[in-house]
Amino acid sequence: MIRMRRVTKVYKGKIYALEDITVDIERGEFVFLVGPSGSGKTTFIKLLIKEEEPTSGQIYIADNNISQLSKWKIPYLRRKMGCVFQDFKLLPHKTVFQNVAFALEVTNKPERLIDQQVPEVLKLVGLGHKLDAFPDELSGGEQQRVSIARAFINRPPMLLCDEPTGNVDPSLTDGIMKLLEHISASGTTIVMATHDRELVNAYRKRVIAMENGRIIRDQDRGVYGSD
Amino acid sequence: MINLKYFSRETIDSLRKNVILAIAAIAVVAVSLGILGMVVMGWDMFSNMIKNTERKVGEVDVFLKDGVTEADRFALEGYIRGIAEVDPQKVTYKSKDQALEEFKTRFADNPELWQYVKENPLPASFTVMAKDPKDIGVVVSKIQNGNPVPAGIDEIKAASSAIERLENVFSKFRTIGSVVVVGLIFVAILLVSVTIQVAIFARRREVGIMKLVGATNWFIRWPFILEGVLEGIIGSIIAVFMVGLFKVYILDRLSTALPFLRMGSSSGLLYILFIAIVAGGIIIGSLGSVFALRRYLEV
Repeated sequence: MIRMRRVTKVYKGKIYALEDITVDIERGEFVFLVGPSGSGKTTFIKLLIKEEEPTSGQIYIADNNISQLSKWKIPYLRRKMGCVFQDFKLLPHKTVFQNVAFALEVTNKPERLIDQQVPEVLKLVGLGHKLDAFPDELSGGEQQRVSIARAFINRPPMLLCDEPTGNVDPSLTDGIMKLLEHISASGTTIVMATHDRELVNAYRKRVIAMENGRIIRDQDRGVYGSD
Repeated sequence: MINLKYFSRETIDSLRKNVILAIAAIAVVAVSLGILGMVVMGWDMFSNMIKNTERKVGEVDVFLKDGVTEADRFALEGYIRGIAEVDPQKVTYKSKDQALEEFKTRFADNPELWQYVKENPLPASFTVMAKDPKDIGVVVSKIQNGNPVPAGIDEIKAASSAIERLENVFSKFRTIGSVVVVGLIFVAILLVSVTIQVAIFARRREVGIMKLVGATNWFIRWPFILEGVLEGIIGSIIAVFMVGLFKVYILDRLSTALPFLRMGSSSGLLYILFIAIVAGGIIIGSLGSVFALRRYLEV
């Protein structure tokens, strides 16, 4: 699903955010990307959604070399991947329904489809009863569920999560993880950057540990490790 | 498929959010296009007035005595054509009958001026154009002081210098008007561009999310472009009203009050002008948006 070949990303000519990364992530895998802040986790994700370009190296998604993708095709690439962020990125003046519908609206989906699919996916994330609530009326955990619903509504083959539990109350992170596992079980590839040690150790997924822009450990059913 | 409902909602929403800036932009679009329209209307009226006056700049009328013989007339015509400063292609003869017909058409609205005339009082004449309007004095004196003095001339009249002066004043007025209009249009584009910048800034979260979920660049740009175009259109409609009022309340009243100046507008000009003004508004609006998008919206 994702193949990186000798990918290096240098910011401003000297700061190595990623250095010589080669990695394969298979279809349907659930991968934790761990490491301290500044280790390169966010850059890893930004390269996949083509928000940043690698300084050198090749990135393949579903066997397509995205480094060679022309600019106008980027939006179509992004429709095939859902993104979830630490800060939720919800629009405060839109309701839960409207926030999720927004993703379909701006990709030109018909209204009929929106009215049918949005309540469906919100039910899946456990918010079927809060369609008309505004984000500031929800807990952090609930807001992140809305964000996951928005990322997943197009049923993308891949979900990229950057610290999805970072702003969520620890007692609610389990709910978010259960939801992501449920989505993963349907065959969606999930890459989740996190530095939540307990969470990683509890779920025992593949762990790619990064430090100073390099992969220092890649382990199936791994733990966070000592640092 | 273009999502009309989405675009119109986003555009109007955004306009409402920075209403004061939008009003400023619309006002400047209106004023610049309105002044442009008024300058064009005023200029058209003035040039019609010049066209309708008896003599154009550089034109000399040579009036003939009644009962001049054909031989004298042909001799005079040959003599005039031979003058070096005269354009020989532009020497035309007008008989007494032609002069009367012309008078009747020109004053068709005031039949009392000619209805009761029994005998044709108008003289036959030659209209002579100087090659260069500057030489008009030379032309007049050469006709008057030919050797031998041509027979049959009653009176010679040249375009008055007053008209020439008036023309100078109006062409200065046109130049200043054009400079002001160009400046105002520039300001209008700038102001539209500023409102779009503000709109982009106000919607940066939306834009970020749109990029994230895979909205195409044009889908992101359209509401901003429409917002600029809408400001341009609203401004141009106000300008159309300004020009219409200027025509009805100033130009039309002026020409009714001063009928002898015969300042009529060219027919159809008003409608062409209206269309041009709205087109101008659309162009100003889209230019403003495009400048803002190129600078402030990375897609």
